[in-house]
Formats: sequence, C-alpha cells, structure tokens
Amino acid sequence: MPFSALDTAAVARALSQLAEQSEDLVDVFLERSEVVLLPPDGDPPGFRVTREEGLAVRLSRGDRTWLAARDGIEPRSFSEALRQVARVLPAAAYPEPRLDVAPWEGPATAEEMATFGPDVQRLLRQEHVAFPLRMTVSRHRRWLQVVGVQLVPGPQRESFYSCVVELPWGRFGALLPAVDRDAARWVARQLLATFRARQAQPPEPYRGVVVLGPAAAAVLLHEAVAHALEADTLALGGRPEAAVGVRLGAPGLHILDDPNAAPEGVRRSADDEGVPTCRRWLLRDGVVEQPLADSFWARASGELIPGAARRGNRFSAPAPRSSHLEVLPGELSAEDLVHDADGLYLGAAERGSLDPLTGEFTLVVPHGRRIRRGEVADPVGRCRLRGFVGDLLGTVQGIGKDVEHAGAGWCAKGGQKMPVWASTPALRLEGVEVLV
Amino acid sequence: MSSAAVEETLAAVRALGGGRYEEVEVFAKRGRSRRLDRREQQRLTVYSREQGWAVRAGDPRGSFFAAGQGAPDPAGPWPEADGRPLRLPGPVSSPPWSEPSDFEAPLIGEGEGHALLDALATALAREVDGARLVHAALEDGAYEIEVVNNRGLEAAHRGRLASLHLEAVDRSRPGVVASLYLAEREARRFEPGGLARRLADLLTVRRQGRTPERDRGELLLAPPVMVRMLEGLLPLFVGAEAPRRASELQNRRGKLGSEVLTVLDNGRLPGGVLEAPVDGEGVATREVLLVDRGAFRQALVPWWEARDPELRATGCSRRPGWRDQPKAGPTHLYLRPRAGVRAGELLEQVARGYYLMETDAAGSFDLEADAFSLPVCGFEVRAGRATAPIAGCVLTGSIGAFLHGLQAVARDLRFLPGAGMIGSPSALVTGLELRAR
Repeated sequence: MPFSALDTAAVARALSQLAEQSEDLVDVFLERSEVVLLPPDGDPPGFRVTREEGLAVRLSRGDRTWLAARDGIEPRSFSEALRQVARVLPAAAYPEPRLDVAPWEGPATAEEMATFGPDVQRLLRQEHVAFPLRMTVSRHRRWLQVVGVQLVPGPQRESFYSCVVELPWGRFGALLPAVDRDAARWVARQLLATFRARQAQPPEPYRGVVVLGPAAAAVLLHEAVAHALEADTLALGGRPEAAVGVRLGAPGLHILDDPNAAPEGVRRSADDEGVPTCRRWLLRDGVVEQPLADSFWARASGELIPGAARRGNRFSAPAPRSSHLEVLPGELSAEDLVHDADGLYLGAAERGSLDPLTGEFTLVVPHGRRIRRGEVADPVGRCRLRGFVGDLLGTVQGIGKDVEHAGAGWCAKGGQKMPVWASTPALRLEGVEVLV
Repeated sequence: MSSAAVEETLAAVRALGGGRYEEVEVFAKRGRSRRLDRREQQRLTVYSREQGWAVRAGDPRGSFFAAGQGAPDPAGPWPEADGRPLRLPGPVSSPPWSEPSDFEAPLIGEGEGHALLDALATALAREVDGARLVHAALEDGAYEIEVVNNRGLEAAHRGRLASLHLEAVDRSRPGVVASLYLAEREARRFEPGGLARRLADLLTVRRQGRTPERDRGELLLAPPVMVRMLEGLLPLFVGAEAPRRASELQNRRGKLGSEVLTVLDNGRLPGGVLEAPVDGEGVATREVLLVDRGAFRQALVPWWEARDPELRATGCSRRPGWRDQPKAGPTHLYLRPRAGVRAGELLEQVARGYYLMETDAAGSFDLEADAFSLPVCGFEVRAGRATAPIAGCVLTGSIGAFLHGLQAVARDLRFLPGAGMIGSPSALVTGLELRAR
C-alpha cells in the first residue's frame, strides 16, 4: 500500500489552515493508479503500462468549491495546491509536510492477462466455432488516500480488469473482477451468442413483454435508478430530498447501493471523500428511501446521507455516483419469467443512457432471443428500449431468484469515466417500448 | 519536463538490452487549465497542472509503451517488450510555422470566468420566460508538447484550448431542454449574448415545434447539422479503407458528391482551435484536399497507413494526451464555404422546405447500407420565409443522396468539436426526407 507510511496528522494540520469557518470542508485526495493493457495481435506498441500519481486539495465553503490538482505527490506541489485553493499570493507560506509514499514495485507484469485471450479462443473452438476477433485486455489498479481536517479514513484499493472484443459484426465490452477460467467462460458465452445472432433481423417495434437477463438489467437499472437518484441529477428538477418517499416501482422491488458488497477487488469501505460507505436503500418496496449523495449535497439537505462520492481522478471534483448496485432477488425461476409470454429475452446490453433533464432513458441491446408462447426461441438483432424513468419501474412485473454479480460497465456521466458494478437477477418487464 | 530529460530518457531506453531497441520515441506534454463549473446550487473552480511523458520502444520483433506523470526516470523500470513490431516516423522537412500571438494570453481568471457564465445565465433568463441555465462548464487551458525519436525527429509546439458546455431547461415546459458544446482557442472568445440567444432559440423551437409526419423538399442545413453529417461520414475521409468506402458511393461519372462538395483537412488552419505545426508523432501537418468539387482525391492517412503509393501520407496522428496512443483523425476537417453567399440568400431560394438549425441527439450512419438518420429541429419554410417551428423529427435518407444532393453552400463556416474540429457552412440540400422521430 503506497500510503501506509504517510504522516496523515501532519497533512491534516497543514490542511486545517484553510478551514476558516466551522462549516468549511477541506481535504486532500491522494491517488496512485496503474493501467496495464495488452492490445490485440498486430497492434503496436505491444505491452502498455501507464503509471501515475498525484493529489488534489479541496476547499468547500457554502455553495463554492475550489480544487487544485497536481501531478506527483510531493511536499512542494501539495503546498502550491494549498496556496491556490486558498487563493493567496505566492508569498504566503504554507508548510510542506513530508509526504512519504512508497515507490512503485518494479516493472509491471501481467502474466494472468496473457493467457486470457487464448483461453477464450480455446473455449470458442470447443463449441466448434471460429471467427476473427481482436481482444484488448486491461488491468486497472488504483490506490487512494483521503486526508481531511477531522477525518482520516483507511486507504482504499481497487483492482479489476476490462476487456474489449472487436468482431466483424460489432463490439463487445465487459468489466471483470478477475481474468480467471470463469471469466473466460462467461466472455466466450457472450461472444458465442453474438456470433449466433450475427445475421438475425431486428425485431419489429412493439410494446409488450421484455425479459432482461441480469447483465442487461444491471445496465438499465444503473441508468434508470442509480443515475436518476443521484442528488445532483435530482437537483436539476428541484430539491433532491423531495424524491424521498416517492413510489417508483411495485412493492417487492428493493434496490440498494452497497460499495462494501462489491466484488472483492473493488470493495470500498470509504468513498472518494473518505466518508464511510453504507448499505444504502435506494428503493425499498418500490419507494425511494435514500438518494445517492456526497458531502456537498448532504450539507445542503439534512435528509441526505453522504458516503456515495466518487471521482474519476484527481482533476475532477467528487460527485454522487453509484458504485455497486444490488437488486434483491424475487422468487421466479427462469421458466417462470418467460411463462405464457410473447416478447423478447434480452440477455446483455451494449450501452445505456439517461437524459438527466428529461428523464428519458435508452438501452441499446446488440441481440436477443424471441419469446414465443413462453419459450425462448430464435435470435433477433439489434434493438433499443426507450422510456421514462418514472414509468419504467412500474413495468417490472417479475423478479428472478438467481442473482448474478456483474460489472454494469463504464459510466461516463459528466465526463468522468468510472467502473460501476451490479448484482442483479433477471427482470420481467411488461408494457415497455421496444424500438429498432 | 526539460528537453535534456527527454534526450536523456531517449538515450537510456535506446541503450536497454545492449541497444536492443531500434525504434525509441519520447513524448512529453505539460499543461495547465482552469475549469469553472456553474450549477444552480453549486460553483466549482478547478486549477489543474499536468506533466506527463510516454515512451514507445521496439523493433521488428517486439515493443512496449510506458507512460507516467512528472519526468521519467531513465533507469526505469521499463516493461518487457512483447511480440508486436513497432515503426516510427523519420524526420521530414516541415514548412515554416509562426506561433499565433494569442497563445500568450493568460488563462481566464476565476472571477472573469464565473462572470461570463453568470452573464450567460442572466441573458438566457431575459430571452425566454422560464428558461434557466442549469449547468455550464468552462475550461481554459494551455499546453506544451515535445516529441523526439531516435530517427532524428524532433518537434515541439504549444497550444491553447478552451471548451464550453451548456445545458438549459424551460421550467414552464418539463422535458424541453437545450445543450451546446463548443470549443475556441481562448475562453474569452465565448460571447454570452450570442450563446444565450442560441439556447433560447433552441428552447423556443422545441417548446413550440410541431412534428411533420413525413415530408420532403428543399432543406437548408445550418452549420451544427452539417457538422454532425460530416462527422458521421468521417470513415469516407479518414484511414486506408476510406477510398474503398468512397468508391462505393460514387455515381456513374465517378463523383462522390455534387460540385459544391469540397472537403479539406488542415492541421495548420490559421485561427483553428487545434492549429499546430506537427501532429502527435511529430510529423508536419499541412492542408489536404480530400474531395474536390465532388471528386474524391485522397483520404487522410497517417504515414504508417500510407502503403499504397496513391495514398499520400499526412500529419494526422491525433494524440490528445500523454496517456493516449497516436490515432489517425482529422484536425480541422471542413466543407469549403462559398465567399459572398449569405445563409439568408440560400433561405430565400427555398420555395417549400425546411431550415434545420440544430441536432437533437446523436445520429446513426450506416455506410454499408448507405443510410443515415439524424434527429433535428428547425423551421418550416415557405416562399423563402421561416413560417413555423418543427421539432421531434429525424432527417433521413441515403448517404449518396445527401452527398449528391448538395446544391449550394454559404459563407458562414463554423467549427464544432467532435472527433477533432469539424466545420461546415450552411448548405442547401435536396433528396432527403424528414420524418417524425
């Protein structure tokens, strides 16, 4: 852990000079990150390593926030950032506390990644299929330490993988907690489904039954529940706390955000402001209970609880975001979910989006299967689900009993690219609009 | 990072493994920026300073890429190369270039920047009852880049870049929104009054616009719509595959488009947001004629893709930052305007049709199927006059019909940020269809 030898007390003392008023929030965010990438065959340069570290000092006072970000973790850059946030002349002297950070450990290696692509290819061959594919595998590691004037949480660490596969008929991407045999099997299964649906025609537009597999449900709920219940999104329409108590879904629908229950490598006990994370009930029995909030929004509204602040990097200010979305399972088996239905089964989504100003969401699905008289049948091609957040959760008429842990994908809200995770069962929606 | 540190790193990496690497490049970038973010409940000021480097090294048997912040330690550690070969460009003569004087202008200050955003919010509220600026993000930055490689290439330049993102709503009509994303070389060039009017026009059109079920006619496409059309068609202009794609859209006379279709890319465009003497690998930039009066001339190809002797390489490796790999792309790609022709004159020529002023969302472009669809809004036009707003519709048709249906262009060339800066004047087009979304 690079920050274990850091003299956090000395850093806190230096920061305390900025806190002139009792409500001032002052902290420093220290970050070290490494991305190791194995490009597809034929793409030079080969093995790619990006390593960086830096810090950001923040002062939040009333409705104003100042942030100064610097590359490198050095006493001088820390002191410069303090001065810039305080907006004082360079002549003002701020102390330069020692910032002892462990050096990088040797050259980066990624043996575990080298076998992943070949493993996926071998699993595909076992299914007697072969097609050209270009796979990029990356490992993402990040170490964080937040030091505040009053609060010094433990250091945080994140480690996960991402994989992007370019195919003749599209692109597939996934976040993976590990690149082990199970992950290779899952990726191979997804690629196989894409291959089998490559010539399938898109479905006719309709409004009716759609059964979403866990991976597709994760993306949809990230857009339509997590983003919709972020305090800054809610504030576009009025007071964020006004959402508390509003019924969005049917009784029995429970959706939480719990960073501490995320896959092991990305589990978090504190958020990117150093506030302890909690098991946050976004919806309990279909009713909004606790929107996602950071310290700013918790101060602005006494009803909101902080602990959901995230920042893509030191150059960005914290903002409320989901980390790990969890949908509590229902009682329906896979057969029950499609029982007596005619519609579509959509296993995985390519991407989703939410217009925070209108509440309109879109889920783009690369392929799926028809459901005919309660049976999953032939493949269909690309389609979209579109609707409004306020209507969507009312269409959830069935919740599966088997939960899958999955990366919901990269979230890019506000230009901050962040991994988001989910544990969800399959969902049966009725009356949802499907477009081509 | 000093030039000496760049040279020292270059020498150290080249010496690795007893001079194993035949190709070594060091890229260094230093920048600083100010970002001012305004929401109704929150004001944010971010001061950033960045300094990073990237090394690419390899030979015909293997290569690696390593990057980090600060200055590299010539002693490493450096990763092991894997089996992918790497080639780097050699030095080529570069035409002289004078650095624009406005690169020296100071970054926008905190008070000045927030005042600009406040002025915009006030002007918008005055323009339309119920209009509110809910989010504005202004960023102003300056950077310096240096690239050296062991083939003798040495290049350095500076740049300025400012961006502005605006989101507005109509509080009197939930769901009516407008947003703009713009780039200039310097933040002070954003003009609050004009931008407020653009947002106000968009809100008004989206609030009052009716949706035509299905219609054709003469269409006057404003620069923002034309820019998104050109951006969707970039695969026709960029990369080694572009000539093949373009050939599939040529008519019997071998033309890709009408006589008014002249498309250029110019990394040195005077006054351009991305104006620079070299690209991300240090290769000299220049003006390239891609399409000349409807005839496809050449694609924008970087030196490493120009294997076909007919493809003349250009300095078009885009490298936004030290973490990024060089990638072929346009710098300032634009449709040539026609001097002296006002957009209003083109509007007067429309007997029955539409003036499409903005896009509502991202479009879809399928070159294989020769089809596109782009959500738009604007005005119905009768006898050269805008008569009623329209919204909630898509401009659709075949890509070939669009390229061959360009009838005239105006002088009002405007650039918008996208994949590089893409520019276009207003253009009169026939042969396309407007449908309800």
